[in-house]
Amino acid sequence: MKTVRLLILLSLIAVIGALAIAPAAAQDDMSEFVFAHSGPIRPMDPHSHWYGSTHWMLNLYYDCLIWRAADGNGYVPQAAQSWEAIDDTTWRFHLREGATFHNGEPLDAAAVKWNIDRVRHPVGDIPLYQQWDFVQEVVVVDELTVDILTPQPHAFVEWDVSYNGCELIPPAYFEEVGQEEFNRNPVGSGPYKLVELSENDRYVFEAWDDYHSGRPEVDRVVYQVIPEPSAQVAALLAGQIDMMIGVPVPDRERLEATDGISLVNESSNIMHHYYARVDTDSGAFPETFPEYEPATLDINVRKAITHAFDRHLLAEVHGAAEPRLARVCAHYPEGYADKYADPDIIADWYNPELAKEYLAAAGYAEGEGPTLYLDTPVVGRGGGAKEVAEVAAAMLEDVGFTVDLTVRDASAFAVEVQRSGNNRDLMLATLGCSYAGVTRYYQCDWSAVAYNICNEEWDAVADAIQVTIDTDERLALWEQWWEFYIDYSQTITLFEVTNVMALNTADFAYAPRKDGWMTFRDVQVADM
Amino acid sequence: MRGFIISRMVQLVVTMFIVSVVVFFILRLSGDPILVLAPDFFSEEQIEQMRKFWGFDRPLGEQYITFVRKAITGDFGKSYLAKRPAMELIIERLGYSWLLAAASAAIGLTVAIPLGILSALKRNSLLDLIITAMSSLGTAMPNFWLGLMLIIIFSVHLRLLPAFGALEPKAIILPSVTLGVGMAARLSRMTRSAMLEVLNQDYVRTARSKGLMQKTVIMRHALRNALIPIITVFGLQLGWLLGGSVVVESVFSWPGLGRLMIDSISVRDNTVVQAGLLFYALSFILINYAIDVIYIILDPRIKFQ
Repeated sequence: MKTVRLLILLSLIAVIGALAIAPAAAQDDMSEFVFAHSGPIRPMDPHSHWYGSTHWMLNLYYDCLIWRAADGNGYVPQAAQSWEAIDDTTWRFHLREGATFHNGEPLDAAAVKWNIDRVRHPVGDIPLYQQWDFVQEVVVVDELTVDILTPQPHAFVEWDVSYNGCELIPPAYFEEVGQEEFNRNPVGSGPYKLVELSENDRYVFEAWDDYHSGRPEVDRVVYQVIPEPSAQVAALLAGQIDMMIGVPVPDRERLEATDGISLVNESSNIMHHYYARVDTDSGAFPETFPEYEPATLDINVRKAITHAFDRHLLAEVHGAAEPRLARVCAHYPEGYADKYADPDIIADWYNPELAKEYLAAAGYAEGEGPTLYLDTPVVGRGGGAKEVAEVAAAMLEDVGFTVDLTVRDASAFAVEVQRSGNNRDLMLATLGCSYAGVTRYYQCDWSAVAYNICNEEWDAVADAIQVTIDTDERLALWEQWWEFYIDYSQTITLFEVTNVMALNTADFAYAPRKDGWMTFRDVQVADM
Repeated sequence: MRGFIISRMVQLVVTMFIVSVVVFFILRLSGDPILVLAPDFFSEEQIEQMRKFWGFDRPLGEQYITFVRKAITGDFGKSYLAKRPAMELIIERLGYSWLLAAASAAIGLTVAIPLGILSALKRNSLLDLIITAMSSLGTAMPNFWLGLMLIIIFSVHLRLLPAFGALEPKAIILPSVTLGVGMAARLSRMTRSAMLEVLNQDYVRTARSKGLMQKTVIMRHALRNALIPIITVFGLQLGWLLGGSVVVESVFSWPGLGRLMIDSISVRDNTVVQAGLLFYALSFILINYAIDVIYIILDPRIKFQ
């Protein structure tokens, strides 16, 4: 029967064709470190997005002026060999002689100025300008010297110039080809060159021989997008990737027991908080719930909530977290973080009797607390949101609240609640924990969709922190600032998420960074 | 023939227009993509600025007209995620989805048709029972589960085949087997029932009574007439495969259209989702037309209408 034979013949041709057409994997003697990225990965234009997990990768490919040290203490040089504060409002950066981008274009003061000017201006699709508004002007002093001028003293210049958007791209090439073509064929300045780009799928980087600080030890670093954690585990066990993060709880024991694979724990730099509604004006709330008056408008109710949570237990329920009281990760050398990460202080903070007293002070009889609407996604950044919310709801009910818990899919939660400002009493906020920016989010001129806070005294402390260059003086101000934060109880911090990573230690040596960034300039071939 | 082509072209245009309206407005109803794109710490002013940049501040009708006007010229807009033309991303992924579809269809057909015929010929025998049970199992097995099992066996334990990606030719084996098993199961059941129906027909009895060999009776007289429902099911399956298998592409990190769609849906990258859905619709329609043509080849009694 001709048709059937034809169909089968075509089918066989298709299989053979498929096998023949698919590209062959590179087989050579180069050392290759493959990291499983859950995706999505955003474009190669580093100034056009704020997504941390893409900037991890971009850090291999682009130099910044300076970069945050892996242990969280201080900064290390990249494109700038050295830097100094000339006065309270002028920071001078000395660039490396002869440094170029991968295409040979000079990485000089003019290129640095072009980059910073691009990222700090709110033009088109460049959403990072707010981080860079501390810059008043960038001045080219000479070919290898550039000054960053700030309108007033700014305590966090080094932090800000080494964060998202700091990556240096070649101006002449970018202007010649435009953003779209740049995203297809980017040109970088870092220790690795890009040799293969399959959008949001696979990015292969090879060590650049001409990098100013020497060729990196590992020849090739690959970011391979594998969305499914179970597929990542299988690929690691099969020896096809070398590292994954966020190892699922059921797989940890098996991976730990596998020769050549080790589990490593380090902060993910993600924190889970509950935002309490403190106003009825921000976001879409007034239109969506015109008649609703959240119980959390009363500060005593918010204080009752914060004392109702046993954070140690919530962290245990999450499965990989450390309890915290303040919106700053424990390892940061600034921000008074250590005090609010102290396990004893946090254990004492859990005080159901005190919570009941606050409820009584708010006018509620014992056991007759108000109803709290609690919104959460099923899985927040760092996982475990639903389970934590269920236990948190039980803790709140234990002190007298009635909790109406709504769990949504992550993108529905983002659209319907979080970013539209439809949060009622409580909602989950999973945030990074940068100390430099945190004060700004609670200032009178910051109009967030989920809350609106204006306390002039607190505001003044925040302003003072931003302009105080002396570290000791600034730490004293931080102490005051956190007292306001804790007392106001709008952001009720629960815990800092720990990242459980699995690494092929048979072939590679890698010490995770304290800031949770999965970037691999420092990965090394293991000693045999 | 000419009338057939013209009427199908008109149908195509009307269907695509309806699909474009449904897709466009349903995506808009599903929520504001800017709220997913904007970072947690963005102020209302920044969110509004982003909305303006991407054109979401304009009236919905105006947005739709702009979309259609550009889509006619092949411009489906720029992906919010990749910041590159949506159609370019789809074309990049299409090759991988088609490869996977072709390989899976090949596995499905080469397994299903012989087994379906055998099962019908040996009706109610042990062999029939085994084939029927296997096809029921193949239909019932979730393909993500089968995919993971295959990875564990062939990648983790035996280390014979890659667990993910499309980096080497043999990487296509596991995902195509995963998809092919389900397809083979459905097609073999269809082949069996279609064959059983025609085997009882007078013309088959006549062919046998003429003393024709069993092979000739089966292949020339029975199977040819049984093929129409088989081809219909195959066409539907192929349309689904050409659009990319969302689950299997995710499990195997296969860089096809299905995974692109999932990534785009999760971040409300509407330009890519719109272009992808229109492409799916077009694939289905064109495959249906191809099936219509195959009907005519198989059965000359069916005329172009």
